[in-house]
Amino acid sequence: MVTFLLRLVATLLHIGLVFALAPLLMGLVTKLRARLLGRRGPPVVQPYRNLRRLLHKTTLVPDTATDLYSIWPFVCFTATAGAAMLVPGFSLGLLTANVGDFITLIGLFALARGATMLAGLESGFGFGGAAAAREALFSVFAEAALLVILISFVLIAHSPTVDGVAAAFRSGHLGISVSLGFALAAMLAVALTETGRIPTDNPSGHLELAMVHEAMLLEYSGRFLLLFEYAAMLRLMVWMCLIGTVFFPFGMARAGEILTWPGGLVLWAGKLGVMAGALSLFEIGTAKMRVFRVPEFLGVAMLLGVLAGVFLFVAARIGG
Amino acid sequence: MRLPARRLVCYGLGVGNSFALMFGLPGQGMHLRLDALSVLFLCILVPQIVASALAERRGSIAFWVFAGAMVLTLLAGDAFTLIFGFELMSAASWLLVLRGDARPATLYAGMAMFSAACLIPAVFLPAGSLAFMLVLLGAGAKAGLAPLHSWLPRAHPAPPAGVSALMSGGMVKVSLYILIRYAFIEFGAAAQPWWGSVLIAAGAASVLIGALRAMLEVELKTMLACSTVEHAGLIAVGLGIALRAKAMGNLDLASLALQGALLCAVAHGLFKPMLFLGAGAVKKATGTTSLDWLGGLMRGMPRLGMLMLAGAAGMAALPLGPGFAPEFLLLHAVIKAAATGGILARIGFTALLAGLGLSAALALGAVVRLIGIGFLGRPRSLHAAAAGDANRATLAGMGLLAALCVPVALLPGVVLGMMEPVIQLLAPNSAPAPLSYAPLSLFLLLAAAAAAAFFGLRRFAVRGTREVPAWTCGFGSPPAWLPFGDPLTQPSATGFAEPVRRAIARGVLAPQGVDPAEAYLLFPLSQVSLRLTRVAEYIRRSTMRQRLAFVFAALVMFLLALGLSEGG
Repeated sequence: MVTFLLRLVATLLHIGLVFALAPLLMGLVTKLRARLLGRRGPPVVQPYRNLRRLLHKTTLVPDTATDLYSIWPFVCFTATAGAAMLVPGFSLGLLTANVGDFITLIGLFALARGATMLAGLESGFGFGGAAAAREALFSVFAEAALLVILISFVLIAHSPTVDGVAAAFRSGHLGISVSLGFALAAMLAVALTETGRIPTDNPSGHLELAMVHEAMLLEYSGRFLLLFEYAAMLRLMVWMCLIGTVFFPFGMARAGEILTWPGGLVLWAGKLGVMAGALSLFEIGTAKMRVFRVPEFLGVAMLLGVLAGVFLFVAARIGG
Repeated sequence: MRLPARRLVCYGLGVGNSFALMFGLPGQGMHLRLDALSVLFLCILVPQIVASALAERRGSIAFWVFAGAMVLTLLAGDAFTLIFGFELMSAASWLLVLRGDARPATLYAGMAMFSAACLIPAVFLPAGSLAFMLVLLGAGAKAGLAPLHSWLPRAHPAPPAGVSALMSGGMVKVSLYILIRYAFIEFGAAAQPWWGSVLIAAGAASVLIGALRAMLEVELKTMLACSTVEHAGLIAVGLGIALRAKAMGNLDLASLALQGALLCAVAHGLFKPMLFLGAGAVKKATGTTSLDWLGGLMRGMPRLGMLMLAGAAGMAALPLGPGFAPEFLLLHAVIKAAATGGILARIGFTALLAGLGLSAALALGAVVRLIGIGFLGRPRSLHAAAAGDANRATLAGMGLLAALCVPVALLPGVVLGMMEPVIQLLAPNSAPAPLSYAPLSLFLLLAAAAAAAFFGLRRFAVRGTREVPAWTCGFGSPPAWLPFGDPLTQPSATGFAEPVRRAIARGVLAPQGVDPAEAYLLFPLSQVSLRLTRVAEYIRRSTMRQRLAFVFAALVMFLLALGLSEGG
């Protein structure tokens, strides 16, 4: 009973922290990136201010939009929020652990993406449609790559949930495996695409023709835009949590033991900080690629995922 | 006549509660019988028949013959009845296709004859690889498995929507029923692992080609038919994994894959007829099903639009939709299968998983295109702008199917529990693991998040909305004579598919985006047939002297052969 209560508290704490810190993480990445480029950059809390500003703006609805215009932001936000609740952050053994199957997670990402694409098509103008078509193309490869990576996780960890995979990887006797290296590279490529970061899309871009994620939201304003923006911040958080939990599960707390929480929280914050730094370093080092180069980029990720699986099979053959 | 007679009777003895009719083969009669498998497929079939009949096809005799023949096939207790029902179904559906559009009817008739030519000998052959391959060719051709699928996107959209719905949702399932019955029950003892591998390969090819073409096709009903190819392929992949695992003695994996395949059949039998009926209503309201001429239908047809959205969520296998649980089970079955067998098989399963991932995302793209281009945005023609909502009967039919989707979407565990006898019949003594996808908890989580967002915004944000002209990055408003803007400035269905066409279709499809089965199988076959016709025509037109020369040459050849063989 006590364990259950502790797990409940840990789950609520996790959900609260993820939702509260997602804008801060986005602000941190923007700030670090600006500093690395030699600029001062907006303050770290700028995303909170943006959200607050949107809260106080009137919501405009284009006259060509249908009645479903106001549904898509909620669907997108809800699916992303669901994913945020399922991916463990500072602690393992949360109450949502059993629901958090990798394939459910992929499905939730797909749901959020579908709602965003429909939002782009909603008012029937060219920019949103073009961006949605590009997003559809990217998602084809991203989803395939993610599924292929999953095969190595499940074969190594014998568990299909994020929690189970992290627990198996944390126990440590796996050592450093070539397969997991490939899987990490592939997962990073997918994560960059899904969160709309630089080699595939530019979150701070201003040219409508070159934008993907932002161009789908051009006709949105006020509280609906807030939901989309917040969902984008949450998505960055979810992917960082996912990569941190799966590939760097060391030091994660156990939800049933309250004494392990502070260490877990500190390490989690540290991991997020390091990943934010790595992301901004990567972003200033690369340029955005052409739309039709992205399938090649993600195709490489898919190939790496397949290679990770093949190495595992060969290793099992030699070892067993 | 002894051997067929024995086979005819022994088909029905499996359960022992067969029911003989007074007509049929002389001395044999026809036997009807109900076991768990046929009950399951009847449960898939009956709602579709009811919905289609409700929606439009009550008065047509051919429709009722078609529906009755499908039921007869499922109830068949002996091979003769099975073939009789199957062929009656083919003939009735051919008549319905012919009435809708004469062009694909010939191709359809040819494919139906091919599948009959494979199935009829197969059911009378002793259990073995040859018989299985014939059943696979016969039933697979009818179910739209690659490479014999190319008739399906042509023939299924031809008849009126109610028949299309039943063909896609029902006829494909009946063909798969025959495949399941023979592969798992009749030939079960002789099953070999490679049977499953063949089935997986055919299924994987159908999944990929079906999903890709669904993304590219502009006609609404053709697109839905391509998606049917995809789903038939998904079911075949599940069945193939189950067949292979069962032959290799891995019953747990077999039952997992069977769960996925059968649940996929159930879900597809609900949402696909729904979408076809909706496409028929769109056709009735606007006079076209080309997505490039639709747009903004959600304004004129709000109720139909919502039902289409529900069906589309199933087609794209989105979480909390009816299509997600089967996809979940199938993906897990593929992952589990990758842990068994030789290294080549494992790499093959990894590639299969990549293919399924590609197809799942393509299906999502196709659905976004269907809803986003067809139902959202601005109208692209006056007909689309003036569309009124579908009539009550169509909405009732679709609503019935949508209501049945709810338990499949939210309580797949209960549905799987009801399927338990079927699983036990097909993979005896297996103990399937409970479903690890929990839609109810997921639903509660998501509902909590949505409620928090809704009430949070109500409490803290500025309420209300203001309708304004769309911004479109500062482009001017359309001229007065084009109230919805120039259709050419809108994203079109063709344009939406263009990135995928450039990046993927060029590698997978034949040149000019033709289906590979058409380009590499049907076209060469038609060339061969043309050439043979020319030869026959040449022979027919030959003069008396040439004919005498033929006869003389034949005689000389015969004598030469005789002399050589005798002399040697």
